Amino acid sequence: MTIGLTVYVLMWPVIVAVILFLIARGFFRDVSQAKKEGRPVI
Amino acid sequence: MAVVLLLILFYGGTMWMSVRISQKNENADGYMTAGGNIGFGISAASMTATWIWASSMYASATAGYTYGVAGPIHYGLWGALMILFIYPFGKRIRKVAPKAHTLAEVMYARHGRSSQLMLAGSNVLGSLISLTSNFIAGGALISMLSPLSFGAGIVIVAGGVLMYTLWSGFRASVLTDFAQVMFMLGAAVVIIPVIFFVAGGPGMFEAGVAAGTVTPEQGSFFSSDAFMNQGAPYIAAVLAYAIGNQTIAQRLFSVREDLIKPTFVTATIGYGGAVIGIGMLGVMALYLGVEPMNGDVNNLIPQMAGTYLGPVLLALAFLMIIGALSSTADSDLAALSSIVMSDMYGQSVGKENVKPKTMLLVGRVTMIIATAAALYFATAQFNILDLLVFVGALWGCLVFPVIASFYWPKVTNAAFSVSVLAALVAFLPVRFEWIPFTGALGFGVELLATIGIGVVLGIMSFGFFGLKPAVIIGGVATVAAAPFTFFFLRDYTVLSASLVAYAVSFLVCYLMSFRSKQDFDFDIIKDITGEFDPEHPAPAQGADEPELATRGAASAGGAGTAGTAADRRRD
Repeated sequence: MTIGLTVYVLMWPVIVAVILFLIARGFFRDVSQAKKEGRPVI
Repeated sequence: MAVVLLLILFYGGTMWMSVRISQKNENADGYMTAGGNIGFGISAASMTATWIWASSMYASATAGYTYGVAGPIHYGLWGALMILFIYPFGKRIRKVAPKAHTLAEVMYARHGRSSQLMLAGSNVLGSLISLTSNFIAGGALISMLSPLSFGAGIVIVAGGVLMYTLWSGFRASVLTDFAQVMFMLGAAVVIIPVIFFVAGGPGMFEAGVAAGTVTPEQGSFFSSDAFMNQGAPYIAAVLAYAIGNQTIAQRLFSVREDLIKPTFVTATIGYGGAVIGIGMLGVMALYLGVEPMNGDVNNLIPQMAGTYLGPVLLALAFLMIIGALSSTADSDLAALSSIVMSDMYGQSVGKENVKPKTMLLVGRVTMIIATAAALYFATAQFNILDLLVFVGALWGCLVFPVIASFYWPKVTNAAFSVSVLAALVAFLPVRFEWIPFTGALGFGVELLATIGIGVVLGIMSFGFFGLKPAVIIGGVATVAAAPFTFFFLRDYTVLSASLVAYAVSFLVCYLMSFRSKQDFDFDIIKDITGEFDPEHPAPAQGADEPELATRGAASAGGAGTAGTAADRRRD
């Protein structure tokens, strides 16, 4: 039970870290694409 | 003092970002949807940041503390699925109205004024309530962690958000969302494990059970208590909030069309992970036997952070909550301004007569008035929860008629309007228990609620699998649920009322439409909705500006003519 609950509590920050990475990578790709095309990012 | 410095740092930073993208002559369409061409990173960040508000963090922690390990799942999972379930409909909405700004604007093109006003009215009310709720959360947090009063706190939050959103509108809102989501998600990644280990690590679970602070129901992942009181009403609300919330629709119209799916899927997982994760603070508080400060469960997050975090991480936790409430508040301001700009000013003068500069002024004035109104509501003793229930119900009444209107050419303006009003009339006495639901009346409510279960599951299935599977799933769900719902659902009025709203709106809309001779041409919507501002090219269109500006002018000019023709055809 203890191990299961520990995994249950700690799995969410790991999932969030993966999404954080994907969003940050996507943002910097948006910025670099916009720079390449000579337009504002938004 | 530290709190004031953090607020200056936060709002100063967001203001700096906003100034960096501001233009002397903002584009009116850009002010509402940023040109409809936003990339994955910014749109996913914005969707996630907007959907995570301070209340969702507090509510998830409260669910964890009240219902135990299953509580945050029954809050965060269904909230996350709101985003997921709307994306198939989002793709359809973008297909029929690629250049729209609001859902209400599309309803005007599809049905006419009354349908548009119902949707726009509920959107305005919902965004205003959300804005007020975020100001209240900010004021309460600032007054708890600093010598500043609640009044000073709400003014700082309101002023800070208005300051960076006012000039560039939606463009500023989505760009600053990126920084805010970095704070929020980054803080969640660090704070949850740190509090877990500082508070005792895995040992807290056995200690909590031994101390008798956790009931067997709270220790179960399959808690029926958590499902019936927390999860089930949320499942019913899933589609209602996604359809009724203009902040979602606005992002739907702003993201590049081919990126709708990855954006919504990423935001679903990001929202779910962050909100359920923050809910773990409530679960930990339960096992640790923490008593909420002043008996208020909304104090759990600041309390856990204050007890187990050092100054640096405490500051990060503070910024996480300020980021959550500010990102939603700026989205509410942008949503409110776009509704007034597009649905009130734009549609009242006619697309061909819109003056972009006047339209922008209308948007900015709307933001100022909305901020002032939300400040007033935050200081007055209005019952925000009651208002939220009312708006949620109105959105629940709208779901089937709105979705059916995008797919079924037979749905008429009368069917739309009457079904929404009938559903609202049926909802109110059930939700507020104006009549005792016993005997035949109780049976009738449960019958409608059981049909409502089928309608909710049918709509969800329809988005992903199409009409036939949706009808089968909805029908089977209704029949399968029937043996368990009668003489049972009457004790759960929140859930029953939502389901009744779905059932009544479905039945009335269907019965009024299926014999209708109307065969609506969905291409008309594309012609009526469209760009308002051909004078200034939208910034996101960048390198192709001259060409697109010309096309925009042509389309806007054409839209006026086509709109008039379409109006005649529709009428």
